[in-house]
Amino acid sequence: MSEGAVAQREVALVDLVDRLLGGGVVIAGEITLAVADVDLVHVSLRALVSSVDTAQRKRSPGTDESP
Amino acid sequence: MIELVAIAEGTLAPEAPVRAVPFDGLAVLCAPAAEGEADAETLWRREALLEALMEQGTLLPVRYGTVVADEAAAVEAVSEHRDAFARALAWVRGAVELSVRAVGPAEAAPEAARVHATLAVLARDAVRLGGDEQLNGAYLVERGAVDDFVAAVGRLQREHRALSILCTGPWPPYSFTEAG
Amino acid sequence: MSREKVLAAPLDGDLGPFARPGRRLPGALGGRIDADPESVERGLAQLVLTIVELLRQLMERQALRRIDGGGLTEEQIERLGTTFMELDRRMEELRDQFGLEAEDLNLDLGPLGRLL
Repeated sequence: MSEGAVAQREVALVDLVDRLLGGGVVIAGEITLAVADVDLVHVSLRALVSSVDTAQRKRSPGTDESP
Repeated sequence: MIELVAIAEGTLAPEAPVRAVPFDGLAVLCAPAAEGEADAETLWRREALLEALMEQGTLLPVRYGTVVADEAAAVEAVSEHRDAFARALAWVRGAVELSVRAVGPAEAAPEAARVHATLAVLARDAVRLGGDEQLNGAYLVERGAVDDFVAAVGRLQREHRALSILCTGPWPPYSFTEAG
Repeated sequence: MSREKVLAAPLDGDLGPFARPGRRLPGALGGRIDADPESVERGLAQLVLTIVELLRQLMERQALRRIDGGGLTEEQIERLGTTFMELDRRMEELRDQFGLEAEDLNLDLGPLGRLL
């Protein structure tokens, strides 16, 4: 690839990473914790992860939605 | 283990190794889970896969690295959000995502806000993502309107010389999966 | 769609400012992770320990409910108590190791308030 094409690819990668790792549908797993042989907590991370994600997005400075 | 790639309308017919697992009129697209760390090439391959699938029909990309045990687990994970997915699919149908970033000094922040507001009017939907830049915007744009949108970015760049503006795309609608 | 992703570039053609060499990887649980190795480790430790602390608190609360509600043997109750004391001690050790205070694990979730 030419130097120009490499630079373009590099900046496009930044936008791709922002989206592939920071965007998209969030589906989180569920875990069951056992402590001292007693099944204690069935934690659904689903709600936590998507709530945090939404809160994080909406907290970004100047975030707004159109129109 | 399988990786969730996208949520799509039920009519999408992907090529192996991607499988469309139906759930209530929609489909969750699954691929064998990749081993090892993701590097740039892996991410670009995922992107190319999503773009090829987008040519077939509307989809919502799933966050990279979402792995479940098997197809039954995949259906269980997505089923409770079925209606929200259907709304989001309708919202993004026929549109693509464009990215616009603007860098500049702190004093240029109001100009960046004007750039965002101007572009938001040209898009079906718009959101500001976080970042170091004065503007890191995602815009949901009708496929047929992409050229006009890019031309508008060019005009805004010429009008706002304090900012350096970059537009990339088209992308699958990563930033609009909860919209609608 | 094509492989060429740049649709509009700055007038001087300089893409440098958009390359973001201190790569920021947005994540579901707190965002900024620097590419600098020391702060990567500390940032990751912070995230991991936050999750562990959250789970520890959830487990403690659940354990108390189970103890109050009956249905556990004396032995199980005693083991739970010991386990939680141990977990607490271990958390403090881990926090010290990474130079983190209890407050550092209290993520701000914006409209959802503080995590812990």
